Amino acid sequence: MQSRELLRFYLTGERPTGAESDLEGMRPALLAPFRDLSSLRYDYPLLLREGDDSLTVTLSDLFDDILKQVAPPGPAGERLRRHILRLEQRIRSRVAAGESDTLSQLWRTAAQDLIGESNKEEAKLLKESLDKARAALAVDGQVVDCDERLALTFVEHAWLAFSQRQAEKVRQEIDTLMLRLSNILKADTARSRSGLAADKLAESVGASYRRHFDFDAWSRLITGRGTGALGPHRHRRIETILAVLDTQRFFPGGKKKPYAFRFESCANAAATFRKRVPEMLELVKAMTVARLEIDNRYREDRHDAYFQNFDESSPTPEDLVGFPTYLVCLRGEELTDTEAAQLIEILGSSLPIKVLVESDDVLGTSPIGDVRWSRGMVGGQLGNLALGLGEAFVMQSTTSGLARMEQAVVAGLSHPGPSLFNVFSGATRHGSELPPYLSSAAAMQSRAFPLFTYDPGAGDDWVERFRVDGNPHEEDDWPVEELSYEDENLRRITEEARFTLVDFAACDARHAHHFLPVPRSSWSDDMAPAWLFLDGEAPPGKVPYVLVATVDNELQRLVVDSELIEAGRRCRRRWRSLQELGGIHNSHALRLLESERARWEDEKAQELKELAATGTATAVIKTERQVEDLQPSPRVEDEPAAMEEDLPRTDEPYIETERCTTCDECTALNSRMFAYDDNKQASIADLTAGTYREMVEAAEACQVAIIHPGKPWNPDEPDLPQLIERAAAFN
Amino acid sequence: MALNTTDCALLSMDEDFTLEDYAGGIPRWCTGCGDNAVLAAFQRLCRDEQLPREKVVFVSGIGCSGRFPHYMNSYGFHGLHGRALPVAEGIKIRRPDLHVFVNTGDGDCCSIGTAHWIHAIRYNMDMTVVMHDNHTYGLTKHQVSPTSPTGLMTNTTPYGAPLTPLDPLSVTLAATNVSFVAQVVDWIPEILYQTVSLAFHHRGFSYIQVLQRCPEYLPDFFDPWMQHPERIVLLTHPDGIQPTASLSRTYPNRQEHDPRDLLRAREIAAGNDNIPVGIFYRNSQVPRYEDLRKADRLYTPDEIKKSFEEELDRFTIWPAEEHEHAVS
Repeated sequence: MQSRELLRFYLTGERPTGAESDLEGMRPALLAPFRDLSSLRYDYPLLLREGDDSLTVTLSDLFDDILKQVAPPGPAGERLRRHILRLEQRIRSRVAAGESDTLSQLWRTAAQDLIGESNKEEAKLLKESLDKARAALAVDGQVVDCDERLALTFVEHAWLAFSQRQAEKVRQEIDTLMLRLSNILKADTARSRSGLAADKLAESVGASYRRHFDFDAWSRLITGRGTGALGPHRHRRIETILAVLDTQRFFPGGKKKPYAFRFESCANAAATFRKRVPEMLELVKAMTVARLEIDNRYREDRHDAYFQNFDESSPTPEDLVGFPTYLVCLRGEELTDTEAAQLIEILGSSLPIKVLVESDDVLGTSPIGDVRWSRGMVGGQLGNLALGLGEAFVMQSTTSGLARMEQAVVAGLSHPGPSLFNVFSGATRHGSELPPYLSSAAAMQSRAFPLFTYDPGAGDDWVERFRVDGNPHEEDDWPVEELSYEDENLRRITEEARFTLVDFAACDARHAHHFLPVPRSSWSDDMAPAWLFLDGEAPPGKVPYVLVATVDNELQRLVVDSELIEAGRRCRRRWRSLQELGGIHNSHALRLLESERARWEDEKAQELKELAATGTATAVIKTERQVEDLQPSPRVEDEPAAMEEDLPRTDEPYIETERCTTCDECTALNSRMFAYDDNKQASIADLTAGTYREMVEAAEACQVAIIHPGKPWNPDEPDLPQLIERAAAFN
Repeated sequence: MALNTTDCALLSMDEDFTLEDYAGGIPRWCTGCGDNAVLAAFQRLCRDEQLPREKVVFVSGIGCSGRFPHYMNSYGFHGLHGRALPVAEGIKIRRPDLHVFVNTGDGDCCSIGTAHWIHAIRYNMDMTVVMHDNHTYGLTKHQVSPTSPTGLMTNTTPYGAPLTPLDPLSVTLAATNVSFVAQVVDWIPEILYQTVSLAFHHRGFSYIQVLQRCPEYLPDFFDPWMQHPERIVLLTHPDGIQPTASLSRTYPNRQEHDPRDLLRAREIAAGNDNIPVGIFYRNSQVPRYEDLRKADRLYTPDEIKKSFEEELDRFTIWPAEEHEHAVS
């Protein structure tokens, strides 16, 4: 194949006559080692734990934990380890073959299979090992693989567990409120006229002793004191609240069947939410009033009007925390225009609706046609769009990364407003031979479907809210991996390879026309790795290629056309935008840093210039002053001048009120002259209500010497010279 | 915890309490007694926290400090000598919604009540405990107390107290599960109030030792420290007390002390002639007995009655005829 033909293909997409366009069996060279996933221990299958704080655990982590418990280290535990890992492998294979069941059931059938396949002696040892391991297994739940059902199963599992936990908490609170309210009513009844009637009093005394009492007399005696303190308004109010709490349908345990909160469309979820708002408000109001009643804080003159006007605007989002959220699960490919519009409406609202959009295809065509590799809204675009709405929680992930996103999913479910879980399943049905796990991992690696979370509740700025740190090599444009292979002389060659959008497209048969396989005989220096073309200007005179492995694991170069290269550049730009939002290579920050650095350098240059002009002595003084500036501020006791300034410079008598110990000495001496303030500390209330003598005596009596008598205010008072002398010690 | 708008709106409708609302009877303590300063600090705390009076209970033992509940307009329990703490524990376990305060003295706490004191620290129940330490039995007219200094002449030690005084701070800091220890002096109200407030907000057993003057029997005892403010060491920390600038001028001797450092707290308590005041130790992670024993849910009176009767029935000896009747 001539270089000119390759160049023409790159520039125009025109294939040389007779050139192959079939990519069957080929996959990016970096993915070649992963032909059989079931023989690998990785993040899948996953156990969705039942009734546990932690929602999931990977099968490999689970078995590692069992091994730690039952298999002693070293040769002693070798047989146990071998047997138990065989069981794990068998479960893994069954799940990979499409079997979906609980762990206990899968364990049972896999163990039976293994024992059935062994000879008698081996079977006995195997059974012993597996029984030991089974005894150490403390959890159960559905085992799921990374496939097109995963996102739905995972999110639904998390939502159910979260909702159940929340509902239990609120249910418990409702039960407590009801019980306490009932106790108030019971206490009121017990203290009422009927509660103090002779027959009621008789019930309160043991049968053996009843004959010793005259209950009528007793009743007459205490009925007069019975208060029945609640009053009709409060009684009725409590009964009304109790009725609301008892018949609510948001949490299980009431008299009526609870509502369902799982929906198939955004429109349904939103409409149902609106319909239930009045009931929800009633319940919020009832719970709020109940708390006030129980704390004895309800004041009819103040609270009646407040609760009469209690409408949709009254409760804050925090008041609604704990109420069930509404789950909507959508398939990206089946999203109609109407549904998409509803989805955007919901994400822009504050409704507690959680939406899962699961897509199987990120390289499909958009409704506006395959114009220079445009992509539809479904996929990465939807996540980006939701980011712009500002107040919706957004999590974007591929199924391959979902196993590590448990905390993000829980954060999304906890968010009081709407949340979007945008997931790429990797189960592309359009010509990809890769299993969903690899396909989705490739989408994440190639930045075609990057992982990120945006949590509006996490803080006030993007640093707190936005994260891209789950992506591989998030600092780089493309992840850099090592690629090792053998050349024709069986020598091991290791080189750096980058996994780009172009490599990801090479997994998809629909895009085979963008690639031209080049036989080894035609490889030349005129070819350059495709990522060089994505990261800037195309190397002049060269054509881009990606490395793939054939079915026989032979390396093959595929020349890439310019249309795909352009798509790769656009993908890189989108990824860089996300990086910037996540604080990586942020252009604003870099520009600010640059200008600050320039300013600092200018200042220093100016200072040096001044130094040169004024001589060294001044420079030394200035440097010392700068050093002083860095010292901690002197302690207040080192500042006598400041202390002097704060104290009154007057002949008027005064008290250092904030140091008064409430000892009563001065107030006992003259309670009109000295009085306590709001904090029960003394000050001079009325100077004319006492004499200078009393002032001096108070100063002498004061335990903490905070009364300063000043000068006499009545020159006619007797013995002034002696009193002034006595006062001197306190002025 | 931050309050949401609804809570704030409702709080604005609550009754507004003044300091006088918490003032009970007129104190009968001697003029100049340090108990007055402590009383003012707690009345101020209740006012500043706007505590509903029916949610507050002061419990005391015997001594001058035992009269404290009489002077608070809240629930109170003037208990037996040395038994304030078990009463307070009983109240807290049954009514965890109440704010429990305890007033005990150097005799009440460190002599007859010592066993209760040590175990109350270990139980770490959420309450604020003030140990009013004036080094003497003032109510009974000056007998020796466990904290009386060696050589102190009292009615029971006319030749001078022969024993080295007990150091309550060191004892408290050495007890299992200790979670909050502070020392203050009654004549610095600013620090007294800050400490009381920090103790109130600590969830657990908050022990405050108040060194206070007895104007009747030991009128000059604290003069060396009152007349020489530099002999008072303020233990300051962003998580502890933070004196105002004017107070810092009066008491210039400051020492930064991290209340999380238990070993250092013990060293300071073992101390010297100066009086350290402030938060010695604070650890909010120590488990509280009432939380460990908390019921999984609230039980109805009928359920409580049923289980109570079942328990008593196990020990009931039935009269013959009634037993037959009950069996039939």
